[in-house]
Amino acid sequence: MIQLILFSLIGALLVFALFFAMRRGPRTEGSSTALVGARQALNSLQAGLLPPELVERIFAPEDYEFVASQAPKDVRDLFCAERKKVAIMWVDQVRQQIRSLMRFHLGSARFHAGLSLQTEIGLAVDFTGLLIACRALQVLLYLRGAYSAPRMVGATAATATRVCRISEESLAFLNAASIGGLGDRSAGAARLL
Amino acid sequence: MTVQLRRMDVQQAANDLRHRTLADIPRSLDRLIYLASMRDYNTGLYYHDGLASRFTQEVACEALADCHREAFRQLVGCSLEELVHQMEAYMESTCTNASDFLTAWKKLEPYRVAVPVESDPLSAQFLFSSFKIALAILESRRHTHPVEPVA
Repeated sequence: MIQLILFSLIGALLVFALFFAMRRGPRTEGSSTALVGARQALNSLQAGLLPPELVERIFAPEDYEFVASQAPKDVRDLFCAERKKVAIMWVDQVRQQIRSLMRFHLGSARFHAGLSLQTEIGLAVDFTGLLIACRALQVLLYLRGAYSAPRMVGATAATATRVCRISEESLAFLNAASIGGLGDRSAGAARLL
Repeated sequence: MTVQLRRMDVQQAANDLRHRTLADIPRSLDRLIYLASMRDYNTGLYYHDGLASRFTQEVACEALADCHREAFRQLVGCSLEELVHQMEAYMESTCTNASDFLTAWKKLEPYRVAVPVESDPLSAQFLFSSFKIALAILESRRHTHPVEPVA
């Protein structure tokens, strides 16, 4: 008898929890902030960090060859230290923006994006792989300099570009006009609630 | 429609600037410094009387900003060797003593205020770093092949 009451209570609690979770839905203000944040992270990656010409420039072996053939040791050392600093900064910023995109996909994307389960799983694998690759790359660059892992740099940039493309598809509805309207919509929704 | 027309004006003004003024400044470094000098440090707005008289002050300002960003992108895309060449040529064009020029550029780092306001931080940092290396290369060349002072 006690067991029956206990199970009935647990069942009732679960039904209530499910009911409230369904009523709550996405939090409008939080999700609009997440959307804008994701769009900014995407812009930062696509326009600032991942353009191939910039990545190639930072890790350009011809610059190293030029310095090695033209400059004394102290200038070569300065060159290696400077390129290492910029390379680490590049990976660090890529990692930060990827994390920001990942947070959006984990928290809010399901409410806005029409991504299939298969795509979401693929994205999750890509995000995790990218974050691990960025950390490994940071360690490698720190220990052995900017020219230590050209293939890994290329692979990381290529994966990040692919992830950005998928994220962009899920954020395609969010153009400049709707970003402007998000604030109004949030306020309107808040008033309705 | 108005925005589109305005954008067309800005493009026209930028082309005008490229053909009339910037055509005489072939190197990206010289262009970057020239265009940065057209900007008011207090407001971040660009001024060019000739361009403003042909278009409007606002359009001229945006056209100058566009050309400034373009020069910045070109310079970021240069190889280190090309940057060293450009710096050497710029140094010669100023008719300043090379030693004084290098000392001033190393200490004051004037290139830091020559980049467009909304430039990407990583690209800007990369360019500053390249300037630093280029200055060190030019200085080392002077030590290897010192120029005899003219008697």
